[in-house]
Amino acid sequence: MNRFADGIVKFKWLIIIAVVGLTVFFSYQAKDLHINADIISSLPDDDPVARLYKEIGTQFGGNDMGMIVLETNDVFKAEVIQHIKQITDSIKYTSGVSTVTSLTNILDIKSSEWGIEIGKLVDEYDLPVEQSQLDSLKNYVFSKEMYRGAIVSEDGTATAIMFTLLPEGDKQAVAKEIKDKIEALDLPETTYFGGLPMMMNDINDLIVSDIVWLVPIVFLVIAIILLLSFKSFRGVLLPLLIAGLAVIWTMGLMAVTGYELTIISNIIPVVLLAVGSAYTIHVLNSINHNKLADRKQALVQALRYILIPVILAAVTTAIGFVSFVFGAYLTMIKDFGIFTAVGTLIALILSLFFVPALISGLSMYGKKTAIESEEKQTILTHKILLPLVKFLFKHPKYTLTGWGVLLMLCIGGLMLIKTSVNMADYFKKDNPTRIAEDVMQKKFGGSLPVFVVFEGDMQSPEVLQKMIETQRFMKEDPSIDVTQSVADLIEQMNDVMGEGKRIPDDKAKIEQLWFLLDGQDVMPQLVNDDLTKGVIQSKFASVDTKDIEAFTKKMNRFIEENQNEYCQIELTGMPSVYDKLNSSLLNSQRNSLLIAIALVILIVSAILRSVSKGVFAAIPVVATIIVLLGIMGITGIPLDIATVLVGSIALGIGIDYSIHIITGFNNHLLENGDAEKAIESVILLSGKAIIINVTSVLAGFLVLLFSQIVPLQNFGLLIGISMIGSGFSALSLLPAILILANRKRKIVANNH
Amino acid sequence: MKSRFQTVVLTAIIVAGSIFSANAQDASAILKKMDDVMYSPKDMTGNNKIILIDKNGKEEIREATIQQKGNDKRMFRFTSPASQAGISVLSLPNDVMYLYLPAFGKERRIATSAKNQNFAGTDFSYDDMESVLFSVKYTPKFVKTEGNVYVLELTPVSEKSDYSKVMVQINKTDSYPELMEYYDKGNTKVKEARYTFKKIGNYWNAAEIEMTDLKKNHKTKMQMSDVKYDTGLTDDDFTVRKLKQ
Repeated sequence: MNRFADGIVKFKWLIIIAVVGLTVFFSYQAKDLHINADIISSLPDDDPVARLYKEIGTQFGGNDMGMIVLETNDVFKAEVIQHIKQITDSIKYTSGVSTVTSLTNILDIKSSEWGIEIGKLVDEYDLPVEQSQLDSLKNYVFSKEMYRGAIVSEDGTATAIMFTLLPEGDKQAVAKEIKDKIEALDLPETTYFGGLPMMMNDINDLIVSDIVWLVPIVFLVIAIILLLSFKSFRGVLLPLLIAGLAVIWTMGLMAVTGYELTIISNIIPVVLLAVGSAYTIHVLNSINHNKLADRKQALVQALRYILIPVILAAVTTAIGFVSFVFGAYLTMIKDFGIFTAVGTLIALILSLFFVPALISGLSMYGKKTAIESEEKQTILTHKILLPLVKFLFKHPKYTLTGWGVLLMLCIGGLMLIKTSVNMADYFKKDNPTRIAEDVMQKKFGGSLPVFVVFEGDMQSPEVLQKMIETQRFMKEDPSIDVTQSVADLIEQMNDVMGEGKRIPDDKAKIEQLWFLLDGQDVMPQLVNDDLTKGVIQSKFASVDTKDIEAFTKKMNRFIEENQNEYCQIELTGMPSVYDKLNSSLLNSQRNSLLIAIALVILIVSAILRSVSKGVFAAIPVVATIIVLLGIMGITGIPLDIATVLVGSIALGIGIDYSIHIITGFNNHLLENGDAEKAIESVILLSGKAIIINVTSVLAGFLVLLFSQIVPLQNFGLLIGISMIGSGFSALSLLPAILILANRKRKIVANNH
Repeated sequence: MKSRFQTVVLTAIIVAGSIFSANAQDASAILKKMDDVMYSPKDMTGNNKIILIDKNGKEEIREATIQQKGNDKRMFRFTSPASQAGISVLSLPNDVMYLYLPAFGKERRIATSAKNQNFAGTDFSYDDMESVLFSVKYTPKFVKTEGNVYVLELTPVSEKSDYSKVMVQINKTDSYPELMEYYDKGNTKVKEARYTFKKIGNYWNAAEIEMTDLKKNHKTKMQMSDVKYDTGLTDDDFTVRKLKQ
């Protein structure tokens, strides 16, 4: 151990140069880090539903569909129609756009006794102006199922302009250009932008603004707290420097390994700033407390003393993060877990190597720190810690009982916990994307795409008939309004040929009707090129977990009963993905927590060479997690893609406090052999470090309350609660248990 | 001095003006000549091979026989693939079309006012297929002479056209078009047609037209073979009754 510390002092310049070099390299790399706002790309490839959804979305263009809604008191007014045409044209002439469909350019097929009339619903070069023309258009639109509720809302107050993007090219850039162009038109009607390309564009902006605004604030908040606690320049600078370097290295590493920033990983900097400063604080604390005259010897001894607790603290925190890798459904959560764990270890390594090297190299030994910390100790000690110690020794059983009651209450609350997977919920209520999603849902049957994929001969009467039956079955669900497939078009064309609105029995007829459909813009959205695959496209209007679950269940049963060797049917789409995501949230929470708890107990027991100490260390954090989940249940904060992370992170950070108490207790016990004295001094000494750490981490995460993304706000709040919980339990529950265990041991020893 | 300066200016203006008007006349004359080359036969019969090529280079081939009389009567009869054999399309003046599907044994009249729709899965719109004289549909402007071609810019007369302009390259010696580039109203080139002409008897024949949709990256080649001109087709050959045969 001494050799390690000696080595650091000996090779200090080598360490400093290496760190500077790597930092330059990683910050250069980090510039290339891209933002990936596409939630779809985070769906796991090993889940058939998610894989099919990605495949179908790409193949049939559903994921690249954007929607603009124009809302006013009556769509059928000359000027509104004029504005619809303006929007349609400006989208049409944006490069990267494949198709646009709106009231002013949609194809209208009328059949009559003598034949077919193929024309536009509205002549875009001779828009209706007269009231009579507008009225007849209105009546016609509402009389046709394919327009009503699809292109004009049932109440006639809103109209939709749909567009698809070309598969190649920067979709976010195209979406942004469209949005800018339409906002520049400055129309009197209210416009809403929806669909995935638009949502991605918004999320991207939110991620950027979160990083730009939150990270500096977190930095500042932590700096202030450190300044208040250490009252020294070094005490502020070094922890922040290490945390900052850990952020840069991690971001650089993400860029080098080809990862991207997501809606979740954009909080990595915040997490690392809050977590990564702790190890340096402990190293500094230890150096400050060593009063040996020889500075070099003091440094070496301080390192030796702090090495194990700091490594333990970092490794357990990293385990908390890594536990997501085994439980999470979304790949972005796994990525978050991996890279925050890596960042934590980077912060650890830098605290152990770089901090002592810097101190010795630049002669940043503290001055008068001992006196200052004495002073601070008195404030904290007399007001909080001493009374706490007194109470604990007087009433250890009351303390335990108090915790017991709290935990029982929270276990009750735990049963009430809810889950939320609706993407729109991730935006604040006043966010334009959220508002747009609400409007789409109210007026146009939602924007959650549903796909039913048929594999078979798309020109066979049996397969087309199956599609029609499936569509009828789907429409029985109150959340399904409109369905569209090639079978609809075949029925329509058969009607045009004068044989009624049904699928012909003769394949030859279908093949010839196909001649009429070939080359229409809509065809690539409904069937693949070699006609072996077709989809029913639909939208699901509800985001309620129960509705989604019921629909998915019902559909899967229907498919089971209806598919055969000639016609394979599969269901996918956002409801199916949400259903999976929802059931995975609880699993993922349970798995990552169990894995994290088991690993933490294992590692703490191994390093401290005592199973009972491992279990003791885990008690305060397990209690904290129960309190946390209980509060979520009672207050109605749902388990979602961000809050599912809190439990394991709280465990990883919170375990540090227990470790400091237990190792401190060990050291003091070895020094003077009196367990009660040891508990008293560990609370007075480590208690201070714990309170400072709780406060700085707490403040760092509470900054997330200003995030633009709702789950991140909840995430910040919940981590804050967990920090208070684990700090308090490490200083009350754990000592109470230690006191009682010790008294029992004494009694047993005395009896012998 | 002064009068000489005036003369120079005046001459320059006159010369410039005459160049301008000569070009305007030239442009109309060049386009008219192109129309003459393309639309002079009284009638035509032949075999048409339609090759559809998607963005991955996958080809789909259809074959049809064509009969055409004048500029406004045309009969397409598909002969291959087997599933489409016998499907016939008769185009008559004033945007009237009849379609016959043999599997139904019925014809249907199709009135299409949406001329920007593509014809039967090809990259040709109904608008592109229409045999209306170019000099009627477009106002030409001379742009430049380039190698063996004149380059004209054609502006649609009707504001209902989907195109803002068509850039056409016309062969200097034989007056047939070699390349047409179609621009949408956002002034983006959206389509491109390359022509290969062959002389058959007295007439130039578009042996191949290759139309590329630049947005979809999709191509259609129309190849003509066994072309015969002026065989004496009558209006009787372009009736609904004939459609079914």
